[in-house]
Amino acid sequence: MFAISQDFAPPFKLIAPFFVIGVLFYVVTVVFGLALDAETMSYLDSAVLGWVHLFLLGFVMMVIFGAMAQLVPVVLEVGHFGVEFFYVIWPLLLVGTVMMAGGFIAAPALLPYGGTIVLISMMIFVLDIFLTLKKVEKFNFVMTTVVIANSFLFMGVIVGIILALGYAGQIDVDITALLNGHVYLVVGGYIMITIMGLSMILLPMFGLSHGFSWKPVERALVVMSISVILVVFSSFTGLTSIAYLGYVLSIVSLFVYLYQIVTLYKTRARKEHDIYAISLYFSFGSLVVSLLMGSLYLLNGSEQLLLSAGWLIFTGFVGFLITGHLYKIVPFLVWFERFSPLVGKEKVPMLADMVPTKSANAQFIFTVIGVTLSALGLLSASDALFKGGISFMSIGSLFLLQSLMYMIRFR
Amino acid sequence: MVTKEEIFEAVSTVIDPEVGFNLVEMGLIYDAESNEEGNAIVTMTLSTRACPLHQMIVQWVKEAVEKVEAISSCEVNLVWEPEWNITMANDNVKKALGG
Repeated sequence: MFAISQDFAPPFKLIAPFFVIGVLFYVVTVVFGLALDAETMSYLDSAVLGWVHLFLLGFVMMVIFGAMAQLVPVVLEVGHFGVEFFYVIWPLLLVGTVMMAGGFIAAPALLPYGGTIVLISMMIFVLDIFLTLKKVEKFNFVMTTVVIANSFLFMGVIVGIILALGYAGQIDVDITALLNGHVYLVVGGYIMITIMGLSMILLPMFGLSHGFSWKPVERALVVMSISVILVVFSSFTGLTSIAYLGYVLSIVSLFVYLYQIVTLYKTRARKEHDIYAISLYFSFGSLVVSLLMGSLYLLNGSEQLLLSAGWLIFTGFVGFLITGHLYKIVPFLVWFERFSPLVGKEKVPMLADMVPTKSANAQFIFTVIGVTLSALGLLSASDALFKGGISFMSIGSLFLLQSLMYMIRFR
Repeated sequence: MVTKEEIFEAVSTVIDPEVGFNLVEMGLIYDAESNEEGNAIVTMTLSTRACPLHQMIVQWVKEAVEKVEAISSCEVNLVWEPEWNITMANDNVKKALGG
């Protein structure tokens, strides 16, 4: 017999707030998109920075932290160093994110305070992860991604605090130069590497993929790590050619990662086209398109391409990857808590029975249309098209909230 | 003495809630035997090493087998070789999962 992951599984009441608050942030962020102007948008606009922080901190990081609370024991086969830490992580992340968004949108003086609260929240998370890792005897690929991703997160948050102080006018720093390092540390170093690691657990588990090679994703991890280091190095030294090499390598890394996904897809046993599967199709499709747009941006420097590629990466790739997995992870957690003790005593539902198909499909359709239209709006600098897309996404986000509450309340 | 088939029949009441099929249909049960004292051993695997339900599934198998009248105890031997793949499942499962 081997280590038993569920002995260390945190209770659902600890994880549920991460998902509920994360999805609420998703709704708020999507609706807040109506305040952006696609015709005059620049990636350094304070409203854009506010939107990006609401989306990444409030939705993406909140859900990832909740998922990691559950998955770390499964992946590492040891219990959390301090699972109780997660009771303070989400309130701190919630308050810090709201203050940071407020800082970007209305009152820059709030930024360092919001940033510090977010920093404390993330440091607690990183501390728990590293102290948990100390219990691990033998490292595998996924554990390696956890170490690398959390090291980059640690550095990214520190750079973020320096940026917040600079943005609030309290210290004098080159915001544009440091911003690239911050973005690459957090998005490339933490989010993308975490996605690479978790993909290798979750996709084969839900798709029943077997007999595939791990080589592509191992290479993607190495290339992405080098890319992040190069961009961070250039943001401190001002060597733009190094940064350019880093940008190219990050695109190469994600294409190699996509090749890995294709191998998982080809070797999967489950071929149903349920909400999970179609969400992933759109997610990875968005990644392909955004990487092609990112490659073109490196050639011609059009900011519309950059904005549209970034939008697709966030709302298309990361957004659908997360929402798709919510339809698998939330039913499992609720089932585990509520129905697993009843197995053998009375009839219990299957996990698929707990997914509200109509609401989930509506969320998918509205959001796909919305993401596509808004990305085209950004590409063509058409505010009407962009706002039309945001309107569809807003309706989709409400269906997501409805689906989540249905799954959580399922009895 | 309880036969292998009778133990498999008992285990077939255990359903994987994620895929909705029983463990025997899935091909996850490799072998089963019992002795005259009523001690049973079930050799099985799981569809993935990262299965967050694995302890629970093992417990369900143990409880299902121990419900058989002539069985007094059941030990579950969880193995990873040979690694499970879809060809081990029955045709019903393959057809359903194949979409």
